[in-house]
Amino acid sequence: MSLESIDHTPPPFFRQGLSALSKLALFGLLAVLLMVSDERFKITNPLRSTIATVMSPLQWLILQPGYAIGYLGSYLLSLQEARTLSTQNDKKLTLDTLKLQKIEQLQIENGHLRKLLNLRPQLSVNAQAVQVLYETPDPYSHRIVVDKGVLEGIALGSPVIDESGVLGQVTRIYPLVSEVTLLTDRDQSIPVMNARTGQRNIAFGNPGHASGELELRFVPPGADVEVGDLLTTSGIDGVYPAGLHVATVSGIDRRTDAAFARIHATPLSSKEGRHLLVLQQAKELAAPPADIPPKPMRSKNTGRIKDALPAMDISEMGNQGVRP
Amino acid sequence: MIMERGKPLLSPVDPPFIWLSLFLALILNMLIGLGNYFWTPDLLAMTLVFWSAHQPRRVGIGAAFVFGLLMDVHESALLGQNALAYTLLCFGSLSIHRRLLWFPVHQQSIQVLPLFALAALAEWLTRLFVGQALFSWGLLLAPLIQAALWPVLSTLLLIPQRRDRSSALNRTL
Repeated sequence: MSLESIDHTPPPFFRQGLSALSKLALFGLLAVLLMVSDERFKITNPLRSTIATVMSPLQWLILQPGYAIGYLGSYLLSLQEARTLSTQNDKKLTLDTLKLQKIEQLQIENGHLRKLLNLRPQLSVNAQAVQVLYETPDPYSHRIVVDKGVLEGIALGSPVIDESGVLGQVTRIYPLVSEVTLLTDRDQSIPVMNARTGQRNIAFGNPGHASGELELRFVPPGADVEVGDLLTTSGIDGVYPAGLHVATVSGIDRRTDAAFARIHATPLSSKEGRHLLVLQQAKELAAPPADIPPKPMRSKNTGRIKDALPAMDISEMGNQGVRP
Repeated sequence: MIMERGKPLLSPVDPPFIWLSLFLALILNMLIGLGNYFWTPDLLAMTLVFWSAHQPRRVGIGAAFVFGLLMDVHESALLGQNALAYTLLCFGSLSIHRRLLWFPVHQQSIQVLPLFALAALAEWLTRLFVGQALFSWGLLLAPLIQAALWPVLSTLLLIPQRRDRSSALNRTL
């Protein structure tokens, strides 16, 4: 019998450290403490961000096989398919150019008219292209992780869009990556406007639906909503710029016994795309209209309340749908 | 240590191999988790149970907790959710490890099934407290799949400790 088969450290009979039960109590309590501080006090971000940064090379590693297969697949794409694709894209480009030229002209015209009518100029937004790394492996939520973080200037709460519509909002930022909560997540909501009727509403993520769906709540049964209606962002929240496509109404359930109709909508953005745009939020948000009287409780505090009002309003708007 | 008659004597474990296997389990777990199904087996949990049953002095509740935190961040779940489940799992495994190893591997999987079920329940209850719980039949399937994979994992992870037996027997003295 060689020495190899003998365990070099004999079992410590007297010093065995904490008992399993006390370790369970210790780490169990620690876990509960962490959960409470994460859910209630939101103070675990530094820890989370550190672990995420340490783990990002690992995450990069596990994604490589998938990328390799995808690359190989696209490499082996037949010439015929490539040609068809190219023709399609050319056609689309021509059509889009036409639209774009019209839009440019309309924008100039719109700017002139706005000046003429003395309206506030519309916000212009800057965008940053990002790539999807992976969908978070949590079947309970709809979130994705993208490949840019604080170091590249991604800001918390920025809207994220793809080529066909709004996808979601940045809800967690780490140094190298950031996390986007999709509109279909149960905690996510977005202010929308029905493009046909101009009716404003808020669309909530519907978790009961596996593939992802939005729901309009608190719509009276008699409201003018039809299947196929386009929902766009209304732009009154200060987070999402106005006019982005969000979803189309896919089903209406009007019940006589319920106070509200149940309206379901399918998001236009696809989860399959890999390239997304993170819109940078405009720094200066529109201040609330000046003609609203502040109605101070005490007359001597008028100035202070007036000063505090815009800031308060903006932060409320900004927080709509954001889960910090 | 009192051993069952006829059971092969295992060579001592290589500590780097334990950590390597846990690390690989973490990577695999991250990879297969990307499918986003309820029934995906948790390979990391299985490996942790395995090592805390076989090497309770080397892999314990602390390691389970740390690996749980890593999974939490990767899943971007509530921080501590997987950590709590793994802590419970590891404690359960430690408390049955003396009995567990007396059984042949296919019977061990029946013994570890309740552990996996309890850990899954703990995780689901945490979600319930936060208000995120959804019920899916896949949830019940995951512990069953993990128990079914237990013999495979057991055999795989014991391979390094079974090596050299033939050479040891045939060697000239």
